[in-house]
Amino acid sequence: MNAPAAPAERIRSARFRAEREAGWKRLDDLVRRAEKRGAKSLGYEEALELAGLYRQAMNALSVARAISMDKALLTYLDALCARAYLVVYAPQESLGGLFTRLMTRGIPQAVRRSGWPLLIGFLAMALGGLLGAVLYDLDRSWFYTFVPGSLADGRTPEASAEYLRSTLFDGGGGHDELSTFATFLFSHNTQVAILTFSLGVFFTLPSFLLTFYNGLLLGAFWRMFDEKGLGYDLTGWLSIHGVTELAAICIACAGGAQLGLAMLLPGDLTRREALRRRGRDAVKLMLLAALMLVAAAVLEGFFRQTVTSTETRLAIGWGIGALWAAWLLLAGRDRAPQGAPA
Amino acid sequence: MKTYTATGVPLWEAKNLIRHTPPESVPITFRLSSIGARFGAQLLDLTFTYGGVFLLIILVAWAGIFSWNGLITFYALITFFMRVPYYILSEMVWNGRTLGKRILGIRVISLDGRRLTPHQITARNLMKEVEVFLPMGTLMGGAGLGWVLGLILAAWMLATVLVPVFNRKKQRLGDMVAGTIVVDNPKPQLLPDLSVQAAAMGYEFRTEHLAIYGRYELQMLESILRAPPKTPEARKHVSEVAQTIRRRIGYDEKLPEHREWDFLMEFYRQQREFLESRNLFGDTREDKFHTAKGPDKRR
Repeated sequence: MNAPAAPAERIRSARFRAEREAGWKRLDDLVRRAEKRGAKSLGYEEALELAGLYRQAMNALSVARAISMDKALLTYLDALCARAYLVVYAPQESLGGLFTRLMTRGIPQAVRRSGWPLLIGFLAMALGGLLGAVLYDLDRSWFYTFVPGSLADGRTPEASAEYLRSTLFDGGGGHDELSTFATFLFSHNTQVAILTFSLGVFFTLPSFLLTFYNGLLLGAFWRMFDEKGLGYDLTGWLSIHGVTELAAICIACAGGAQLGLAMLLPGDLTRREALRRRGRDAVKLMLLAALMLVAAAVLEGFFRQTVTSTETRLAIGWGIGALWAAWLLLAGRDRAPQGAPA
Repeated sequence: MKTYTATGVPLWEAKNLIRHTPPESVPITFRLSSIGARFGAQLLDLTFTYGGVFLLIILVAWAGIFSWNGLITFYALITFFMRVPYYILSEMVWNGRTLGKRILGIRVISLDGRRLTPHQITARNLMKEVEVFLPMGTLMGGAGLGWVLGLILAAWMLATVLVPVFNRKKQRLGDMVAGTIVVDNPKPQLLPDLSVQAAAMGYEFRTEHLAIYGRYELQMLESILRAPPKTPEARKHVSEVAQTIRRRIGYDEKLPEHREWDFLMEFYRQQREFLESRNLFGDTREDKFHTAKGPDKRR
């Protein structure tokens, strides 16, 4: 039934290939150029050609799978299509546009969607603070348990009120380490925030604990100053950057809680799918936390040492806190809320 | 009727391949990157970022712009921007490739077949902090930890490091959160069509000769024919193949040694034409067991 053809005459799949080979080579060419110099290096005509040739190659792959048994051809087309796919479906957002969209809509909307996780974050910090203060009252040696020596920097329960006051107001006169200390705190805090966020995937607990521990530290610290009658001044000293910074850590914790809740309570979804969905808001919370940490570092660097009146410190700290809140609560409300935007 | 695995790739080549369905709905195949390549890319990236920071610091220190404290501040800020933001920006600009990945020819793609979104890139790189930087930091500065805490940390680190080893798609935790995988950059290479190459005349195979083998054997023969023998052993191997085929299909002419290659070439051409035409009529012959029905008789 299948009389052998003369050798010169090509079999069907070979003809199929011969007819299209030039197009594939051209596509390969364009793809290589786009890969090397970016899709912008292609002209308008060439970009159009690329899209057309890509679809044709995809079509050819589909047909070849059905009619050809030439493995080399199938492998080639597969790889060619994959490569062209990666050029055609490359991210097209500009970094600037991305940033604007994130700031005007993405982050504020994500924050407003994450009520419960945010509650977890702030609650962890508050409970920690409360417990820290109470434990300090019961037994001062708790202080040494909570606060690592490098962080305390001589500010211990034994220190005199004058010394403690000087750490708040002198801005480090003769205290050269203080600016270094500020930077240390910044990189320390970023790491704490990132850890708090990413450990959340282990069922929220590590995030909660880390934030709780931060609260403990804060509570014990505050109570120690308060005991010496410096509670108000410490509040001012902390407020100037702390409102932003501590909120950032709570928000990072909320991001972690988003991930953890996806693992704990996936609902009808598989855990992986739940993680993927909740991850959208979680990542935005973390970006917000990082942004706030950078802002806090700037505040700390510029104002903490130069502004020395407690009232101004309070005003600046909480004023900026109010600005954050206003941005997060008001921005991106222009349209009716829709499903999670990209 | 074909033996396909869950990834939709034929069983004999399923290992490490993944079928990816772009919006055009024609599945394309990617090869998952080896753990070694990913580890190498990570090492390269670490070298570049920290090496860059180191050079910059030396340069700044040498230029004497900052005091010692200023230098430390500068270092803290620079390392902050060289960690997660470096990976996010480079993967965003180069479509899933950092410098290290570019050098080793691997890249990140989205599992859903769509383009890689900024969200995915951010998510997978934020998790890198736990999976890469934290274990690294602990390894370098963990001497002061108590042994219980040390043991817990070690176990947890080991677990996160082993996650990509023990799942089929080799995803690390960040990949799972973001829905991404890391694949080898596809390298298209067009080999000549064997059926077009001039073959010697004089071999006529009849239907009963061609009805023996299936697609699998045909493609094996193709791979043999694509590497012409250079050594005496390879020649002997080819000769064995030719004689086996001649015996198996019951081809009754004598086959002298110098004509074996031509015989194989011509057999390949006619066998392919035959199988492709049978395939068009819906008679797909996957391998030489195509006459025996029932999946358990397959290889």
